[in-house]
Amino acid sequence: MAEPLVELTGVEHRYRAKRTEVPVLGPLDLRVDRGEFLVVVGPSGSGKSTLLRLISGFERPSTGEVLVLGRAPAPGRDVGTVFQQPRLFPWQTAGGNVGTALRWAGVPRADRPQRTRELLGQVGLAELGARRTWEISGGQQQRVAIARALAARPTLLLMDEPFAALDALTRERLQEDVRSLTDGDRGVVFVTHSVDEAVFLADRVVVLSDRPGRVALDLPVPLPRSGVPADQLRGSAEFAALRGEVAGAVRAVAV
Amino acid sequence: MTQNDPTGATLSAAHSVLVRAAAVVALIGLWQMLVLAEFWPPVVLPGPGRVWDQLITASDAGNGQGGYAGSTVAERLAVSLRRVGYGSAYGIVIGVGLGLVMGLVPLVRAVAEPFVTFLRALPPLAYLSLLVIWFGIDEEPKVYLLVVAAFPPVAVATAAAVTGVNRQYVEAAHALGATRLGVVATVVLPASAPEILTGVRLAVGVAYSSVVAAETVNGADGIGGMVLNAQRYNQTSVVLLGLVVIGVTGLLIDTAVLALHRAVSPWRGRA
Repeated sequence: MAEPLVELTGVEHRYRAKRTEVPVLGPLDLRVDRGEFLVVVGPSGSGKSTLLRLISGFERPSTGEVLVLGRAPAPGRDVGTVFQQPRLFPWQTAGGNVGTALRWAGVPRADRPQRTRELLGQVGLAELGARRTWEISGGQQQRVAIARALAARPTLLLMDEPFAALDALTRERLQEDVRSLTDGDRGVVFVTHSVDEAVFLADRVVVLSDRPGRVALDLPVPLPRSGVPADQLRGSAEFAALRGEVAGAVRAVAV
Repeated sequence: MTQNDPTGATLSAAHSVLVRAAAVVALIGLWQMLVLAEFWPPVVLPGPGRVWDQLITASDAGNGQGGYAGSTVAERLAVSLRRVGYGSAYGIVIGVGLGLVMGLVPLVRAVAEPFVTFLRALPPLAYLSLLVIWFGIDEEPKVYLLVVAAFPPVAVATAAAVTGVNRQYVEAAHALGATRLGVVATVVLPASAPEILTGVRLAVGVAYSSVVAAETVNGADGIGGMVLNAQRYNQTSVVLLGLVVIGVTGLLIDTAVLALHRAVSPWRGRA
């Protein structure tokens, strides 16, 4: 069995609201292995984003333990994050955003231009490094955000509904690109509302219940990761069957 | 290039220059008409021609008076601009520094804000006396006066800008492994730059409008000193000349700061 990348044990999370505490997540046990692409699906308010904030170290669980690579997570260490909005710094160019991330990752100045080109090339934007962030499309901005998140070569990539704001066509293209991100032993935890997106991307789908979010379904997705064209994969009977199973679980937990 | 306003109305650059020029010509025309109508004697309201002649005379170092009372208009302007330059520069440095700390540390903000607001409310002439007692009548109190006048608007603007930086950028920076210092240098300062420069614009304006006050004590060599001197001798045309010179150079400086403002924040309103 592969070494766990992320391990959540007995995790519960509550938000303090006035004098009461609102439980948003858990109790929850979850583990993500190296090289695994885990997609988390759930209704709004099921704590999907909170789950990512706990794994990235932006928040600590009210009870239980979160471990990333065997230690408590801290923002910017081992973990890269892609948010729903690209959050690119508009006072820098597309390449400047990636360069800044490389600087923060400790990459020597002399290596940064080359690495910036490589990272932008990896997301298909090799030519757009000099562009201002507002001069490129929403899909391209999100690609730059992915390149930026990969700058520190994180062992774990967290993606919080990164394609929710994009049009259907752009979304499908980016999904196809993102499938290759788990190459090697990098793990991905990807949050989405879309059952289609979940089944297409995942090695494993976890469906969270309505608040407080608990694991309602933990389903391996044994679809081929490469070698099959995306359209063919989406049109296959296995895809439809898995899709049906996940959709059923989502319907069951939605109020 | 067009000049935008929030309502979406635009004026082309050529058009804009034309409209402004027309307004200036109209104003000078109105001034001339008032003079021709002889509502007031020329000693109260001299015409534009008279003020122009005064500019020529006061700019001539070889006119027997060395321009006006020992210095030409250009020399006086240079002296005053130097004071404004030093006063604004120190004021901006102090203002940005203090504003940054106020914006980042709530405790400092709570302590410093009343003092900054207190200083802002004081007219420069009111604390000039104190500065003269403390620092004498040489160059220091004049520059200090401008510093005290210039730094509060920058501090207030910087503190507000820093507090208002979009948390999403800060969080993105932390997620990328930025240190606290890295976040301040790479995210907070650039994100705040447009608002800080609005404060700088105000500060330079305040410093410039305070230079006349600063030159009331042993400042006869400046442009404000010229105005005060001329007032003493009822030389209305010289007073008007001084006001026009201060106004026009103030306008040019403001245009330069505004251009800088646009240059550092082309992303404003687009991201």
